[in-house]
Amino acid sequence: MATVTAPLPGIQAHEEKTKLRISDYFKWTVDHKIIGVQYMVTSLFFFIVGGALVMMVRWELLTPTLDLVQNGTQFNQLFTMHGTIMIFLWIIPMFAGFGNYLVPLMLGAKDMAFPWLNAFAFWLIPPAGVLMILGYFAGQAQAGWTSYPPLSTLFSDGDGQTMWAIAIHILGLSSILGGLNFIVTVRNMRPEGMSYFQMPLLIWAILATSIIVVMATPFLAGGLTLLILDRVAGTAFFNPAEGGDVLLWQNVFWFYSHPAVYIMVIPGFGILSEVLSTHSRKSVFGYRAIALSSLVIALVGFTVWAHHMFTSLMPSLRIPFMLTSMIIAVPTGIKIFSWIGTIWGGKIRLTSAMLFALGFLSMFVIGGISGVMLAAVPFDLHVHDTYFVVSHFHFVLYGGSVLAIYAGLYHWYPKITGYMMDERLGKIHFWITYVAFFFTFFPMHLLGMLGMPRRVAVYAPEFQTLNTIVSVSAFVLGISTFIVLFNLVYSLYKKRVAGPNPWRALTLEWATDSPPPAHNFHGDPVFFSNPYGYGTEAAYRYLEEQEKELGPSYPKTMEPSTQAMAHAAPAPAGD
Amino acid sequence: MNLPKSSHNQTQGSAGISLVWVIAGGVIIVVGGFLISLLTPAILPRAGSAQSVLIDNLFQVMLFISGAIFILVEGLLLLSVLRYRARKGDRGDGPPIYGNATLELVWTLIPAIIVAVLSIYSFVVWSQIETRPDNAQEVGVVGQRFAWTFNYEATTDDLPPNVDMSRVPEDIAATLNNGEAISFSYPQLHTWVNQPVTVSMETQDVIHSFWIPGMRMKQDVLSGRVTTMSFTPIESGVFRIVCAELCGGGHGEMAGRVTEDGDLAGAWLIVHASEQEYLEQFYYPELEKILYPPEDPVLLGRQEIQNYPCSGCHTLSDLGWTGTTGPILDGVASRTARLDATGFATMSEYLHDSIRQPGAYLVPGFNNLMLQFNPEPDHANYMPDSDLDAIVAYLLTQTGN
Repeated sequence: MATVTAPLPGIQAHEEKTKLRISDYFKWTVDHKIIGVQYMVTSLFFFIVGGALVMMVRWELLTPTLDLVQNGTQFNQLFTMHGTIMIFLWIIPMFAGFGNYLVPLMLGAKDMAFPWLNAFAFWLIPPAGVLMILGYFAGQAQAGWTSYPPLSTLFSDGDGQTMWAIAIHILGLSSILGGLNFIVTVRNMRPEGMSYFQMPLLIWAILATSIIVVMATPFLAGGLTLLILDRVAGTAFFNPAEGGDVLLWQNVFWFYSHPAVYIMVIPGFGILSEVLSTHSRKSVFGYRAIALSSLVIALVGFTVWAHHMFTSLMPSLRIPFMLTSMIIAVPTGIKIFSWIGTIWGGKIRLTSAMLFALGFLSMFVIGGISGVMLAAVPFDLHVHDTYFVVSHFHFVLYGGSVLAIYAGLYHWYPKITGYMMDERLGKIHFWITYVAFFFTFFPMHLLGMLGMPRRVAVYAPEFQTLNTIVSVSAFVLGISTFIVLFNLVYSLYKKRVAGPNPWRALTLEWATDSPPPAHNFHGDPVFFSNPYGYGTEAAYRYLEEQEKELGPSYPKTMEPSTQAMAHAAPAPAGD
Repeated sequence: MNLPKSSHNQTQGSAGISLVWVIAGGVIIVVGGFLISLLTPAILPRAGSAQSVLIDNLFQVMLFISGAIFILVEGLLLLSVLRYRARKGDRGDGPPIYGNATLELVWTLIPAIIVAVLSIYSFVVWSQIETRPDNAQEVGVVGQRFAWTFNYEATTDDLPPNVDMSRVPEDIAATLNNGEAISFSYPQLHTWVNQPVTVSMETQDVIHSFWIPGMRMKQDVLSGRVTTMSFTPIESGVFRIVCAELCGGGHGEMAGRVTEDGDLAGAWLIVHASEQEYLEQFYYPELEKILYPPEDPVLLGRQEIQNYPCSGCHTLSDLGWTGTTGPILDGVASRTARLDATGFATMSEYLHDSIRQPGAYLVPGFNNLMLQFNPEPDHANYMPDSDLDAIVAYLLTQTGN
C-alpha cells in the first residue's frame, strides 16, 4: 500500500476530506454523483433478481415437460417478472445512473440542471420496485412484459397485475423527469464555448435517449392508465365485447416500447464511442455521423412500432412499417462502421473495458442482422413470437446494452471510486461472459426457426438438445455475473489508487480528482477542443498540464501498460 | 514526460491496405456468405407449402447478404485487434484521423441499397403469399384456451355418395333440404396436396396466434375480430400447429403433440395425398358420424366430446388426452366427495352444471379457466343439450381412481 500511495499524498489527503460513508448512499441527497451511484447499485440489485428469475426459467426448460414449476401459470409469472425487471429496473435505470454521474462531469458542471428533481426521479424507483415484487404475494402478473389484453385484463384475476401496471407507471414518471433534466442540462450547462459538436458522444447519446423518453413515455402512461381502468374501474377500452379494441393496447404499447428499445441501447452506443476511442488512442471516426445517427435513430424509431404487430396488424399496413424498420438499419450500420474506423489504425489496449466494447461490437452486429430479417414481413410471418425473436432482442439488449454497461463500469469505476478494478478478474469475467452469452442466445435462433414459440413451459421433445445447450450456457452466464459483482466490491478493498485520469482520456470527467470533490472541479475546468483529439501535440500538452495540476495517475494503464500493471497487481493492498 | 512528439507521423497500417488484400477479403466474404446461405434447409423445418418455398428463398438471400456482412464486420474487428494492438512499451497514440467523407458515404449508401433491394423483394413475396385464392377450401378455426378446433361445413353437394337419408336425424335433414350447410368440428385441420386452404379464425377468449411452422405462416387470432390466412400445401404429411401468442398457463400445450404411443394429439395439419383420400379417410367418415349418430348415448358422448376443445386442458386416458391445466377426467364419475361439497343429488346433475357453469363449483384454492358452454345456438361456445346429455353419459362411465 505504502509504495502505491507514496507518490500521491495530495490525492490521499483530498480523499480523506471528501470521503463518503456508506450510509450517505442511502440518504436523500441532491449530489448527482451520489444519485448516479444510487441508480447503479439499485439497478445491479434488480439485475440479480431478474437474473435469478431467468435461471429458474432455464431450469424449467431443461426438459420438455413441467418439472420445476407446478403449472404453466407459475412459469408465465417467472418470465413476466424477468422481462419487466430487466427492462424497467435494470437497463433503463442503469443507463440513467451513468448519465447522472457523467453528464454534469463531462460538461464541467457542478450538478444537473434540477438537482432536487433528479433526486426525486431516483427515489421513485425503489418504491416502484418494491410494489412490483410485492405483487408476487397478491396474485402475480403473468401476462408477459407486453401484457396484451384481454389476457392482462379480463383473464388475470390477481391484484399483482394491477400493481405491475402501477409500478411501471411510477417508473415511467421517473424516466420522464430524468429525461427532462438531461435535456435541460445539456442545453444550458455546457461550459462557455463548448458547441454541441464538441460534446462527448455519450452526451449526444443521452440527449437522443432523453428526447425519446420525453416523447414516448407519456404514451406508455396513457396506455397503462387505460389498462388499470379496465382492470379496476370496469371500463372496456380493450374489451371488444363492449366496444373496445385489443389492438388499441398493442399500438399504444409498442409506440412506447419500440422507442424504448433505443432508450435501452443508445446510451450503450455512447459508452462505446468513449471506450473504443480512449482505449485505442484514436479519435472516433466520423464524429458528426455518430452523433447525428443517434438522433436519426431516435426519430425514425417513432415510425416503426407496428413491426411488432406484423401478425396482428391489418395486412395492408404491414409494408409501410417494413420500410421504416428497414431504413433504421442504415444509421445503425453507420455507427458500426464508424466504430471499426475508430479502432482501425489505433493503438489498441485490450483492457477489460475495451474487451467488453469489442464484445458489444461483435455481438450487436448479429442482433442488427437478425433485426433486418425480422423487418422483412414474409420471414417474420414464420419467426414472429418465436425463440428467433427472443434471440434477436437478447443480442441487442445483452450483447448490446449489458456488455456496454460492463464496458462502462470497467471504464468509469476508477473515476467513481478512485480505485482501479482488478484487470485480471475483469478479463476472466469477459471471456466467460462472452462465450457463455453466445452459446446461450445463438442456438435460440435455430429453435425459433425450427418451430419453438416463445413463452412456453413445455415444448416438443425434439427441441431438448438445443434447449439444454441454451440452459447450461445460461447458468454459466449467470454465474459469470458474480465475477464482476465480486470485482466491484473486492477492488474497493484492494484500494489500487487510480488517480485522476488513468486512461489518459480527454473528456472533462477525467480533469478532476477520482472520486471528484463535492462540487466536481477545483475552479472552472478547461475543456479540450476535441474530446477525441488523440495523437495530436495539443492533446499531449493538455494531458501534461492536467497531470501537473492534479497529480499523476496510477497505474499508468495507458502508458507502458502491461509492465506497470504486472508490478502493481501483487502489491499487498492493505487487506 | 518523455512522450513521442509525433507518433502520428508514422501512419503505419492505416494506408497500408493493398489491392490484393481487398480482393482476398472480398472473395472470403462472398464465399462465406454463400456457404452460410447454403445452410438454410438445415435450419428450417421441411418446406410444406407453396408459400414456404418463397419465404425460404427470401431467407436464403438474406442469409447470404447477412453472412457476408457478418464476416466483413467480424473480420475487420479481428484484423484491427491483431494488427493494431499496442506493443509492449508503446506509449504513443494512433494517428489523428477524424473521418473520411467518401468512406462514410459508401457505408451509408451500400446498406441503404441493400435494404431497399430486400424491401422490394420482401414486398413481392408478401404480395404473393397474401393473395387469397378463389378455389380455396374454407375452414373455420376457433382458438380457445388451450386448444384449437376446426369447423368444416357440408351442403347437400358435399354429402357422401349413397347417403341414406332415412337414417339422418330430422333437424339435420331439414337444414340440408333448405339448402343450408351443416357443420361439424374436429381437433385437426385436414386438407390435401396442392389444395389452397383459407382459414377464418376467431377466438373465444384471449388472443392466440395460429402458426404452422411447416407452412411458414402465422396469423394472430384477435378477440372481437375474424382474421384469415391462406396457404397451399405442396407435400402430404403431418405438420404441427402451434399457438404463438401467450394465452395463459396452458399456452405451451396449445400445440400438436405426439403421445407416448406415437399417436397425434392436439392440433395438427394433416395433408392427404389426394382429394379422394381426404374424402374417404376423413371427410366422409366424420360427416357420417353426424348423419348417422350412434343410438347409444355413451358412444355418442365419446364421439361428441372429441369435437369440443376439452383436450387442451384435461387429461383423459381413454382418449389419450394429456392436458394439465384443468382437473383430470380419469375416474371423474367416482369422485363422490364432490357431491357432498356441492350439494348435488347425483353425479349426472353435478357434471351437467359443471359444464354449463364451470366457475360455480370450484375446488377451494383453484381458479376457473374454463368457459361456459351455452345452450343457446347464437351464443359463443354453443353446446346443444343433446350433446351435453351424451357427454355426461360418457363421462359417467369414467370410474376408478
